[in-house]
Amino acid sequence: MSALRSGSLSRLLPPIAAFVLIVGLWQLIVSQAGIPAYLLPKPSDIVEAVGSNWRSLLGSVYTTTLETILGFLFSVIGGVLGAILLASSKMIERSIYPYAIILQTIPIVAVAPIIVIWFDAGLRSIVIIAFLIGFCPMLSNTLIGLNSTDQNLKNLFHLYNASKWQTMWKLRIPAALPYIVGGLKISCSLCVIGAIVGEYVAGVGGGQGGLGYAITYAAMRIQTPYLFACGLMASLLGIAFYQLVSFLSRKLLGSWHESELRTDID
Amino acid sequence: MEVLGLKKVSKTYRNGTVAVQEADLRIHEGQFVSFVGPSGCGKSTIFRMSAGLSSPTSGEIEILGGTPEQARRSNSISCVFQEATLLPWVSVRDNIALPLQLRKQPRKQQLEEAERVLQLVGLQDYAKALPRELSGGMKMRVSIARALVAKPRILFMDEPFGALDEITRQTLQEELLTIWQQTERMTILFVTHNAFEAVYLSNRIMVMTPRPGRISAEIPIDIPYPRGERFREHPDFSRYVSLVNESLRH
Ligand SMILES: Nc1ncnc2c1ncn2[C@@H]1O[C@H](COP(=O)(O)OP(=O)(O)OP(=O)(O)O)[C@@H](O)[C@H]1O
Ligand SMILES: [Mg+2]
Repeated sequence: MSALRSGSLSRLLPPIAAFVLIVGLWQLIVSQAGIPAYLLPKPSDIVEAVGSNWRSLLGSVYTTTLETILGFLFSVIGGVLGAILLASSKMIERSIYPYAIILQTIPIVAVAPIIVIWFDAGLRSIVIIAFLIGFCPMLSNTLIGLNSTDQNLKNLFHLYNASKWQTMWKLRIPAALPYIVGGLKISCSLCVIGAIVGEYVAGVGGGQGGLGYAITYAAMRIQTPYLFACGLMASLLGIAFYQLVSFLSRKLLGSWHESELRTDID
Repeated sequence: MEVLGLKKVSKTYRNGTVAVQEADLRIHEGQFVSFVGPSGCGKSTIFRMSAGLSSPTSGEIEILGGTPEQARRSNSISCVFQEATLLPWVSVRDNIALPLQLRKQPRKQQLEEAERVLQLVGLQDYAKALPRELSGGMKMRVSIARALVAKPRILFMDEPFGALDEITRQTLQEELLTIWQQTERMTILFVTHNAFEAVYLSNRIMVMTPRPGRISAEIPIDIPYPRGERFREHPDFSRYVSLVNESLRH
């Protein structure tokens, strides 16, 4: 146990040391060179900005989190259901999938204003924009998973007279789980980006606006330290969300799939 | 009673490979028939067509008095593939119960039947294990148990022991014969590269020639069952093996 702890400590130490060193250097150089805070704030300026605005910062984090989660949930539900629909008939897949690919290549920033025109500024539009970004990888990953079922297993199901739905539920969907989980991991990071981009375009998404809104606002008023604080929060949110989804994925996959098995277990 | 008949069956794959050409074959109920032949001579192709997993380009296949499709619909055929082909996410017991589950039999009955065949293959202690916790030989046993739980009248086995070591292979051969003898009138069709295996197991051997695949010789093995491990050392055994090897060379 203590060996394990010292092992993880020795793995954690170098990045922590690097972090302290870089932040220290940053503080030192900026204050020595006398660079003004609105150009490049010192780490201490950023901490101060967080301290004096923590209420609105937390509010923004909350709003963006809400938008991200909603967009992500819709992406997952839409992507998985859509892929099951496409995979259940070659005809449907052949006629619709090309458009799904095209949808994926449209830059979201180009579509966002239209979304705002159709659905008004605010939470609804932001969630839709996050959904549009997260949906495509969910759909294509799930579809690839559903279509890459082992041929022998498919033969086996055929031989034992499995219906189309039995094959889907008992074979294709469980076999696609690792692909679906891959999709979840891509999609969750994209949804954070989607929510922030959505806020750039669609403004206040409830409460007093999310991180994206706070960033545009702070940029306009050249509150650079607060801008940095918001950016920092956005990355932390992205990381936290990714970790959460990874954790849930591991639970979802349970114990059977190799990719989720740690190599040191035997 | 004839359970499988092939009349001038040919198969040409879409890329132009003639895998089987005018194969004729009649197999009677309760036999243990092995197919031997060099790699690529069309053994698996004949099996897949007979089990209804692909259709012949020309010729006729009659199985249990009907088409392969009808035989499948009436749950009369089972297959064991070269790989164990198990669902990695469910337990050994649920893997075995799969054919019954797909037929929507009551759960209780599924479990009872699964328990019965688990005992047949000697895996009763591993009912709750996942496939990845088993060795190759045990996985193959699960695969055989799953084929047996469906109570097939014809069991197709396509090189089921190909990936196993010699000792495990011989143990499983022995077990397979015991199970076959306990199951009344089940016909087994068995593909193998291995002349020793074919002679030990079957009462009829079909020798196939490479492309285009044809059945070139038929060797009856007139040794009564149970044959026992001693049979492997019997002079008759080596005589049969050399007979098979000779036919393979022609
Ligand atoms: N799906 C396919 N498409 C095209 N050609 C195929 C296909 N499946 C098999 N073949 C060809 O048909 C021939 C017979 O194949 P088959 O798998 O029946 O051989 P086999 O006797 O079972 O060989 P092995 O002992 O190696 O399993 C081979 O030449 C193979 O290349
Ligand atoms: Mg083969």
